[in-house]
Amino acid sequence: MSDVSLAVAQTRYSVKGYLRDPSALVFTIIMPVVLLLLFNAIFHGNTLFDGIRVKSAAYYTASIIAYTIMLNGFGSLVIRITTDREAGQLKRPRGTPMPSWVYLFAEIGRSVVTIVVTSGVLLAVGALFYGVTVSGHMVVGLVVYVVVGLVVYVVVGTACFAALGLALARACRTTDSASAIGPFSTVVLAFLSGVFIPVAIMPAWLLDIGKVFPLEHLARGLQLAFLVPGSTGLTGTNLAVLVAWGVVGLLVAIRTFRWDPLAAGAG
Amino acid sequence: MPPVIEVHGLRKSYGDVERIHGIDFEVAGEEILGLLGTNGAGKTTTIEILEGYRSRNGGDVSVLGVDPAHPNRAWRNRIGLVLQECELSPRYTVRETLSMFSRYFESPTDVEAVVDLVGLVDKADDRVAQLSGGQKRRLDVGLGLVGDPELLFLDEPTTGLDPAARREMWEMIEGLRDAGKTVLLTTHYMDEADHLADRIIILRHGEIVAQGTSDELRDSLGDVTHIAFRVPADARLDLLGMEAEVSTHLDGALVRIPSKSVQADLGRVLHWADRQALDLADLEVVRPTLDDVFVELAEAPPEEARGQ
Repeated sequence: MSDVSLAVAQTRYSVKGYLRDPSALVFTIIMPVVLLLLFNAIFHGNTLFDGIRVKSAAYYTASIIAYTIMLNGFGSLVIRITTDREAGQLKRPRGTPMPSWVYLFAEIGRSVVTIVVTSGVLLAVGALFYGVTVSGHMVVGLVVYVVVGLVVYVVVGTACFAALGLALARACRTTDSASAIGPFSTVVLAFLSGVFIPVAIMPAWLLDIGKVFPLEHLARGLQLAFLVPGSTGLTGTNLAVLVAWGVVGLLVAIRTFRWDPLAAGAG
Repeated sequence: MPPVIEVHGLRKSYGDVERIHGIDFEVAGEEILGLLGTNGAGKTTTIEILEGYRSRNGGDVSVLGVDPAHPNRAWRNRIGLVLQECELSPRYTVRETLSMFSRYFESPTDVEAVVDLVGLVDKADDRVAQLSGGQKRRLDVGLGLVGDPELLFLDEPTTGLDPAARREMWEMIEGLRDAGKTVLLTTHYMDEADHLADRIIILRHGEIVAQGTSDELRDSLGDVTHIAFRVPADARLDLLGMEAEVSTHLDGALVRIPSKSVQADLGRVLHWADRQALDLADLEVVRPTLDDVFVELAEAPPEEARGQ
């Protein structure tokens, strides 16, 4: 069996395990959908974005997709990696001929699968309940812009957050700390980045703080793609910040990643 | 056949504290070697260095001709591991778990054959969460075997198991010997090492204090076979003319006679008893058990153990 097909098999295995974990399903798929419904109920109508009036529902569909990417690519990845590591489940396959990257590929692959599925559900909910059409237009030529933006941001955003997740997992000595730090940082950044509250009513200084972090740029890029007709949302600044955070995360992860439980003593 | 494992002068420190003090041993092919010691003796440190999990501070180590400090994929294909602590994911079935692991190896054993070997045929479609402790441990062993390894490391395979599960595990491990595997087993149960291992190494505070077959270990304790019996306190032991340890109790004296030649000594004792018209209560010949060997060798405090 080639390593590539092994990596695919490991990813399928990982997804299968995920589907059997009800709490993870609630946390990563149900919660974003519930948030979309709640925010649409609270902030219904229109909001201002980039000086233009846009549908709140479209704004939140783009925002919650960004949130989902961070939640699955980062928050739940930190928890999974830390939990698996402390249980000895990272150490065990290291004693087999399986290349280490196969495991990481599968875990990140599982995040990608959940992100794609959840984003699909969010798009469907947005379209069915709130009449969100991509870019507010049904013109095929304009739809292409949104799809390009969405695909690129899902790929770059997931890569960025997964790298940061692998880096942060090292700092979490226990499953408990990972379960606190992962969701905590995701929620705080969601507020700072105009994901939960429309940018039009956010204090500017809070948004400036948010601009330091990757979620702001991912959210803003997706909002651009969804809300501004004929835009992919792919700006140099947004992509550069995401790539920069991703590279820093990757370098830290490569230097510090641990496969054996941190809590283990000498026997 | 060259040794499967060669260890010379192995040292390991944690911080400033040296935990393995330069040990030497070899494991031959198709042998079950038992590494025996109390908790903290250095068993797991030693086995994890051999498995390629931990670095060492000194000494030469060769496992299947490869230095485990530099494990490679071809080498990993030839060894199987059963770790002391390994929490398997509760969400997969026994068969799914074994199938996934079998894909990691170049020429794995048939998964169904492993399921059968570890006695989990009835549980093959149950999730790991539903297994008992003993069944989980057998699945661990199955994961160690699924790659069809030449060499299997078993780190405390029966710790925490109830007596029945322990028996079943023993039968499984004995089956491995018949299959021609080389096994390095750690345990803190003397009876387990005695039962399973062809040779035993007793490790104490990072040093080897004894090694050999279980018979050799018994012999190493010297003349400690005793003839023991109980007589009234006023029995004429002086007429027996033998060195005896006597402890006096309310109901008489307990006599223990160390014996090099049991048959001759027993004859003298019986002859003496006849002439004294004594009834020897609780007469028995006591051979040292391996537990005595173990207590003697493995449980001394570190100062004494290191000869300081």
